Amino acid sequence: MSSPKVIIISSEDERFPVDPKVAEKSVLIKNMINDLNPDGLTEDFEIPTPNVRANVLSKVLEWCEHHKNTTFHEEEDDDTKKTTPVEEWDKNFLKVDQEMLYDIIMAANYLNITPLMISGCKVVAEMIKSKSPEELRKTFNIVNDFTPEEEAAIRRENEWAEDR
Amino acid sequence: MNLHENCTPKDDAIVSRSYESILSATASSGTSGSSLNAADASEYSYISATPNPYEDTDNNGPETDHKHSVTTSSTKSRFINNTDSTALSKLQTPPPQPQNDEVSVVTPFLVKHINDQSKIPKDNFHKYCYRHNPEITCNKSTDEARMKRIQTSLDRLPSRDQEAITHVWSIFSASPLQHRELILKGLLSQCCFPQLSFISQEVSSLIRIDFLSTLPMEISLKILCYLDCRSLCNAAQVSRKWKALADDDRVWHHMCEQHIDRKCPNCGWGLPLMHMKRAREMTDEDIKPIIKRKIEELEAPNHEGSSASSQESVENPSKKLKTSPEEVKQKMKRRPWKSVYSERFKLEKNWRKGIYTTTTFKGHTDGVTCLQFNRKYLMTGSYDATIKIWKVDTGECLKTLSGHTKGVRSLVFDSQKLITGGLDSTIKVWNYHTGQCIATYRGHDDAVVSVDFANKSIVSGSADHTIKVWHVDSRTCYTLRGHTDWVNCVKIHPASNTVFSASDDTTIRMWDLQSNQCLRVFGGMDNNGHLGQVQSVIPFTYKENLIEDGHDSDAEGQSHRENADTTEENETDGNLRPCDGADDELASNPNYPTHLITCSLDNTIKLWCVKTGKCIRTQFGHIEGVWSINADTFRIISGAHDRLIKVWDLQNGKCLHTFANDSYVSCVGLSDSKFAAGLENGLVKMYSFE
Repeated sequence: MSSPKVIIISSEDERFPVDPKVAEKSVLIKNMINDLNPDGLTEDFEIPTPNVRANVLSKVLEWCEHHKNTTFHEEEDDDTKKTTPVEEWDKNFLKVDQEMLYDIIMAANYLNITPLMISGCKVVAEMIKSKSPEELRKTFNIVNDFTPEEEAAIRRENEWAEDR
Repeated sequence: MNLHENCTPKDDAIVSRSYESILSATASSGTSGSSLNAADASEYSYISATPNPYEDTDNNGPETDHKHSVTTSSTKSRFINNTDSTALSKLQTPPPQPQNDEVSVVTPFLVKHINDQSKIPKDNFHKYCYRHNPEITCNKSTDEARMKRIQTSLDRLPSRDQEAITHVWSIFSASPLQHRELILKGLLSQCCFPQLSFISQEVSSLIRIDFLSTLPMEISLKILCYLDCRSLCNAAQVSRKWKALADDDRVWHHMCEQHIDRKCPNCGWGLPLMHMKRAREMTDEDIKPIIKRKIEELEAPNHEGSSASSQESVENPSKKLKTSPEEVKQKMKRRPWKSVYSERFKLEKNWRKGIYTTTTFKGHTDGVTCLQFNRKYLMTGSYDATIKIWKVDTGECLKTLSGHTKGVRSLVFDSQKLITGGLDSTIKVWNYHTGQCIATYRGHDDAVVSVDFANKSIVSGSADHTIKVWHVDSRTCYTLRGHTDWVNCVKIHPASNTVFSASDDTTIRMWDLQSNQCLRVFGGMDNNGHLGQVQSVIPFTYKENLIEDGHDSDAEGQSHRENADTTEENETDGNLRPCDGADDELASNPNYPTHLITCSLDNTIKLWCVKTGKCIRTQFGHIEGVWSINADTFRIISGAHDRLIKVWDLQNGKCLHTFANDSYVSCVGLSDSKFAAGLENGLVKMYSFE
């Protein structure tokens, strides 16, 4: 007899059966399983995630599958987290279009998968890093809503950080 | 055709037939460009066309060919808002020679699915994709430009082709999600590589998301916390929304935590602690007059009121008065963390780039031997037997203290008192505000060359090879013996109640003030110790990773091994050698400093690990003996007989700056923004990086 699975259901009602170990990378799902099955899983367990689309969910579960044996230090102090660069596998994993990256971050936030969310945030931070304001607007499709006077004032206000 | 492999049997009929119409449209337009533009337009129509046509169709029964053209044009008119009317009027003319069955496929499809859309969940998250959710403010300006371009391309085509292409768009626009995916899959499977490449290019420019504005705020702030200060400042210039986020006090507080008083392991930058409280908050004295004014303002109207009316109004103002000074204080004290950060950043930049101004203090008639300074005062001792107190800002000499009968070799001061040690073998305590000598301590048999104090204890090192600990309150004095030559420097480490001493015998010793025992001797060839007289020692605690020498320093130590024996003998003479027990104790006491920095007449500066007693780094650069060093959490400053002052990076041991003088440098002092050097010719120079 095969061990019971956790079946995660996307917003389109697509079903993703996974090992509990994989699903439990999501603290939300882990808590849900533990709360509703205090004696452990005896049969398949369905969890709908109506906020997560199927293509995003399959991506997120791919991450969970890869990291099912990784131990993350949840209580890492903020500085060490800031210092460590994104892990190589995560970096490649998150080489996706902005829409997918956005959805993954949102899904990781919703499902409470902190390490994935941190990686996602770091990838976005990398996209922002060392770009001029104009380059940033271009990268993220943003309209400059400052008046020219305001813009000049804000530039002066931030000049101190220029030219190390 | 491989398209059918992608289709579910149920949808097969509709899709394959509507597909034919797409094909015909593409074929008749003759260019790949226009068919691909359709993909662009579809994205726009997702928002403007999809939700709107309900009203048109909801109440209508069976459809007609005439109805079809109305539907198309209404869809069309919505998705190209600012088109010229000619295109629309052309579109409204019925297609000249369409096969009837083709139209009959298009129209029912449109009507059916436009009706179906009322079944889509009402909440915007499911109805729209992220990009077109009206709840999320999103920039559409690029869409506008894109739509204009599509319109222009469309206008160049014959009207029949325009009609056909519009059909394709309408079908796509009316399709439910799954159908759309199917249509796209079909279109994609037909594309050749150059067309796919075009799509991929277009797509990557189309999917651009303003992450910071659209993500939940706490996530956006988290992202910003991963940035460096320059990136944050650039981000603040992007848009209003970005500015609000990138200037957020939480982000900059994090930046300050990351960098102030420590070297950030991420970027290698560290900012001075400065007067942390002063920088972030005004002191009580700064605020007092303001509070007073506020209270008076509050009191004034109440006085008038209370005289006229009942007790109630007397009670109220008293309550008000209790809280209001605190409130005012709270308001006054806060200053944005960003400005705290930038102030320190500018200072650090000047240190890095070596941008400074100098002040020269002239007055001593013989060589300067020792100095210390704070924000207000610089105090210097000299072979001319005097101590001078200078105003840091102006360079003016405020006081000259006389009393020592020979040269002054050492001084240390705090907010109330000044303690000096002289070649006349005495220690003197001064009230430097009045200029009076309060006490003189005698006991050493030879010159007092170093003093330090903490709490109620004074420690002195002497040319008589001893260290004396003077407990002021109990009027007791202990003598620490062990060094075999002059004790050039003593430093109390108050947190662990220990003393560190540097001696001409080439060693540094660590003493416990409780037991008056020597805990450890730092020196000797085995530990890569100094070869010359040690002039200065600074104990400190450093939690981050300090750069240590590689193994080559061991090899160097071995090449000098022949000399080692004599040094070791000296050590054994000093009765207390560190034993294993002492090692354990050292390791277990968390209050001990982690490291020492020492300088010596062997021209080197050494970094020691207190726990192991080994020298872990040697800094070369001075070409003659180093008389004096000082250090804070970022820098080491050294003054030497080679007339040079050097500034070193504490963390990696690299020399950052070298400043030349025309006389030997006998003492140096360091603060967040300045350093001072006392010269053999009697001058004192102060370099300010503010």
